[in-house]
Amino acid sequence: MSLEIVDLVKVFGAVRAVDGVSLSVASGEFFTLLGPSGCGKTTLLRLVAGIYPVGQGSVRLNGRDITRAPMHRRNLAMVFQSFALFPHLSVFDNVAFGLRSRRVPRDETRERVTEALALVKLDAMAERFPAQLSGGQQQRVALARALVVRPDLLLFDEPLSNLDARLRDEMRFEIRDLQRRIGITTVLVTHDIEEAFVMSDRMAVMQAGKIMQVGRADEIYRSPASRFVANFVGPINELALGGIEMVDGRRRALAAGALRVWLPQSGGMGNGRTNLVLRPEALRVAPGEIGTDNSFPAEIVDVVYLGGNSECRVKVGSLQLSAVMPSVVAARLRPGARVSVGWDADDGVMLDAG
Amino acid sequence: MQDRRIPAPWLFAAPLILVMAIGFVWPLLQALVNSLHPNTPQGIDVTQWTFGNYKRLADPFYGEILVRTLRISFAVTAITGLLAYPVALYLARLSPRAQSLVILAYISPWLVNTVVKALGWTLLLRTNGVVNTILLQLDIVSTPLKLMLNETGVVIALIPGHFIFVLLPLWAAVSGLDPALSWAAGTLGARPSAVFWRVILPLTLPAFVAGLVINFIMNMTAFAIPMLLGGARNMVASMLAYQVNLITLDWPMGGALAVTLLALTLAIVWAGQKFAMQLAAGRGLRP
Repeated sequence: MSLEIVDLVKVFGAVRAVDGVSLSVASGEFFTLLGPSGCGKTTLLRLVAGIYPVGQGSVRLNGRDITRAPMHRRNLAMVFQSFALFPHLSVFDNVAFGLRSRRVPRDETRERVTEALALVKLDAMAERFPAQLSGGQQQRVALARALVVRPDLLLFDEPLSNLDARLRDEMRFEIRDLQRRIGITTVLVTHDIEEAFVMSDRMAVMQAGKIMQVGRADEIYRSPASRFVANFVGPINELALGGIEMVDGRRRALAAGALRVWLPQSGGMGNGRTNLVLRPEALRVAPGEIGTDNSFPAEIVDVVYLGGNSECRVKVGSLQLSAVMPSVVAARLRPGARVSVGWDADDGVMLDAG
Repeated sequence: MQDRRIPAPWLFAAPLILVMAIGFVWPLLQALVNSLHPNTPQGIDVTQWTFGNYKRLADPFYGEILVRTLRISFAVTAITGLLAYPVALYLARLSPRAQSLVILAYISPWLVNTVVKALGWTLLLRTNGVVNTILLQLDIVSTPLKLMLNETGVVIALIPGHFIFVLLPLWAAVSGLDPALSWAAGTLGARPSAVFWRVILPLTLPAFVAGLVINFIMNMTAFAIPMLLGGARNMVASMLAYQVNLITLDWPMGGALAVTLLALTLAIVWAGQKFAMQLAAGRGLRP
């Protein structure tokens, strides 16, 4: 394990910003801390960087205990949301900063800086100053400045949120490709689900200083561990369940007090109330029979065109459900039409309503 | 949309320009003209033109006063400069509420009349004053230190009052820095001292120099504190100006003194700024 965090706690006044977090990031892995603002993800990253002193717990990097090490001795590098380029230094001097701190000889410094600038395609800009660069170019300088010191760990704090949407999409892939090519262990902090899904090997979803779930993007999206995670990583339909019974070895329940639905084979029957969670794209909407495990007559309320996909809202009795489907499919649906809505039992997830 | 540009923006500055022209520029020109006329028992002889008043300033009596004024002003500015960075760096890390309280504390010398303040300093610094009593009681000194009626006293008393002129711009500059700049430097391997010399100092130097310039000018023109803590034997330029203009009523001589002081101060300020900008350029800072 490259980065190992054990029971980390950080308290600011009355707020437990990081509340007993344990994590392992493998060597060469791209790991993301994902969560809403104020969930403690940035604090956690800053604890790893040594910007804030650790309250309790420990941080190990490549087997070395760095819990109390000052930040200049951790041999890691960080890319900041504001890029934090030194405005009084040229691009070359910005990138050389870390090498000069490490007293790398002059010739080697020049060589490595040139190499790093070539890596981010900024060789022609070495003499410019940060204020003379575009946002995307500043981002690349920040990246080169971090990579040139050959850190054991690369940290990103919302690195793309200061870029415009199109550039952000490009940079996601560019940073991911660069990270894979170099094979450097990386931790990224973001509140942007798409960014986390595109860039990371694994991610941790955080809420209120705690980790709610760790896993690959598909695991988190398809098998969320809680309603919070399910809700945070994408839109959901929720049906309260009651009166669960066994019929021919399969579970059935009364959903939303009105629909008799087949339940997925596995998944939580806790002690409390349970909700059935359905992703909009798991729902099928069509005229006539649709052949799914669960199927109900419904009326279309609205069809909203979103580009490649469309959202179709339907009413089943007093219950409203949202379905997402390719726009070519949705084109045949009209508001007010009588249709069927349905889903396969195993596309549902049962989660504690608590 | 309607063009809402203001037809004559200089009108906004006109009232102040008028006040400055009547209250400052005109008397200054008057002083300059006076300084070129000889003074006679009958009054200023406007028919004669002379450099005699300036030649008299070269007299060792006046020369000594000018040199003493410069020496005190430099000493205060230098000590203030050394003290200001630690305070500004500390201040910028406090909570906004604590910051305003500390700033208020540093401004508080200005809530007290200068003469009263100077008298207060005499209570602290005189031979049997508070400072000497404590030093004697603690056996740190065996005979009282001479802390006033000399240049030491003037320097001690000027530092707290004029400190705020360096602290305020420097504090604004330091707290305006993106904290991520220091973090970036730190994570890149710079120890805290290197973060200061390579990042914080070059980025706040213009504000620092601006503060030092104001501080120096304030020191050059201080009156009540040099008067009460320096005494008549440690005369500075402002006391001389008072004497010449209001006691001996030699306005031509007073004019020559004013013009010389103005030229001297401007020259030093200009040189100081040029030096600081060169220092900054050496560190890669663009003015």
